[in-house]
Amino acid sequence: MLVAAVRNSLRNLRISAKRDVHTTIKADTAGGSAAIISKLPDDPNGLFREPRQVWVENLDTVEENKLGIIELHPDVFAAQPRIDIIQENVEWQRKYRYVSFAHTKTRAEVRGGGRKPWPQKGLGRARHGSIRSPLFRGGGVAHGPRSPTTHFYMLPFFTRVHGLTSTLSVKLAQDDLHIVNDLAIPSSDPKYLQELIEKRNWGPSVLIVDEDDLCPENISAASSGIAYVNLMPVYGLNVYSMLKHNTLVLTMSAVEKITERLLFQLRRSDGFKKMEKFKLDQ
Amino acid sequence: MGSVTNTTEKALKMLRALPRVTIGNIRPNPDSKQRSKRGRGQHGGDKHGAGNKGSGQRQNFMRLGYETGNTPFYTRFPYEPYYKGHHLRREYRPISMLQLQTLLDTNRLDTNGIIDLTSICNTGLFSIKPDERQYGFQLTDEGADLFRGKINIEVQYASDEAIAAIEKNGGHIRTAYYDMRSLQAMINPQKWFEKGVPIPKRMVPPLDAMEYYSSAERRGYLADPEEISKERLVLAQKFGYELPKIEEDPDFERLTATKDPRQIFYGLEPGWVVSLKDKAIIKPK
Repeated sequence: MLVAAVRNSLRNLRISAKRDVHTTIKADTAGGSAAIISKLPDDPNGLFREPRQVWVENLDTVEENKLGIIELHPDVFAAQPRIDIIQENVEWQRKYRYVSFAHTKTRAEVRGGGRKPWPQKGLGRARHGSIRSPLFRGGGVAHGPRSPTTHFYMLPFFTRVHGLTSTLSVKLAQDDLHIVNDLAIPSSDPKYLQELIEKRNWGPSVLIVDEDDLCPENISAASSGIAYVNLMPVYGLNVYSMLKHNTLVLTMSAVEKITERLLFQLRRSDGFKKMEKFKLDQ
Repeated sequence: MGSVTNTTEKALKMLRALPRVTIGNIRPNPDSKQRSKRGRGQHGGDKHGAGNKGSGQRQNFMRLGYETGNTPFYTRFPYEPYYKGHHLRREYRPISMLQLQTLLDTNRLDTNGIIDLTSICNTGLFSIKPDERQYGFQLTDEGADLFRGKINIEVQYASDEAIAAIEKNGGHIRTAYYDMRSLQAMINPQKWFEKGVPIPKRMVPPLDAMEYYSSAERRGYLADPEEISKERLVLAQKFGYELPKIEEDPDFERLTATKDPRQIFYGLEPGWVVSLKDKAIIKPK
């Protein structure tokens, strides 16, 4: 009773909605090979739209093998493609860490100019008090740029969340999103990866996203030599990088993690706390 | 594309035929951004509050309410009682019966215990600010006809229709007073427990609220239970419904559970310290 009372009294930070986790079934096909079928749970009272079905590919051969099908959540991978929100995210990612060091001197900072250049009256010339006034050649600059100027600001939390869902949806809609079963490749030679990308028409630049930051050795070594093929953990996923690369490759575990995290944010009941003004020293 | 009705699906379908979205070809919505202009002068070249030409700049308008020498209307009558003591009055944030029903339907409230101020605050949809003299919640009658929940609820103020709607469905309602310090603990118990301060003792209502909370008609928490039983029947007759027999209900215990008039958390007594870190309750000897 007491424990229940304490539990009842505490703020309920958990979300009531069930987590939409994939269930992966390995089904035997007629050909004898096992096909992966990763399904989302049936949601009788939530989903009004069909999940997206995407092929699961392999990376361990240069030729593409379709290993099975994965269902992608429509709220994450088929959200409204808001180009304006994507643009806001890109602009924010550029600006928040940008510090402008452009600098000009004011009339006070320019050397000299302390003396009145000529008397106020009697010469028929315009009245002036300093040769470093902004009107003078070699004078100070009025309202010029001052260094350092930070351009830091925080994009509203849910604009950031919708930026991710919009970009993932755009990538999927334009066939630039590929799902692979894992990141195992047979060699650490960069040429293997380049050949694979060439063969599958993935465009020169590829962003490969795995669930966490410990990737298999071969793919780490192979991609480290190619500047336009990059590895990223799910926690680093961002709008700018997704747009920067032609193709986005997600592992199945990354898909699950991304779906879980983004659905949590989209459905959280304490979202109003996230909408509070951003405080720097908190 | 005629069969597509969903705008999202339509947009995604259009994107398939469009060039790849990249950093180079995205833009904000047209006309959504306004570049800030650097004005000249001390206040950025504005009009100093006088507007643009005309009467604002050239005519001498009198201040609002000024009557050129007459005693202004707003100072003519010395006594306006409507707002007397407004800074001392208690405010109760309204929750309609329809909103309460929605909270129940969307599983925001746990119906296994008493629904009190803490549970309502915990939904995240309603909150009170005790320092702005908001002393809790009131139930208003909007949507009372639609209410179907069988609940045990404790609010700070309730209309007759709201009381009737709850009792008609076999529920139980009490109106209860919490003083400001208790409210601080109740609106965010986690914060209170983390301070390591004992649970405060609930104070008795102030004199002007005593009558309300002792009245059986208002289902006050200080009223005589037998009187309340009588008033339940009276209200049933007034609104013309048959009062369900709460004594024969299998959930009788749960439905009629009440807090002690000095208690603020059900199951926890004043003076106890709840340690969230050790998951323990420290009681005085």
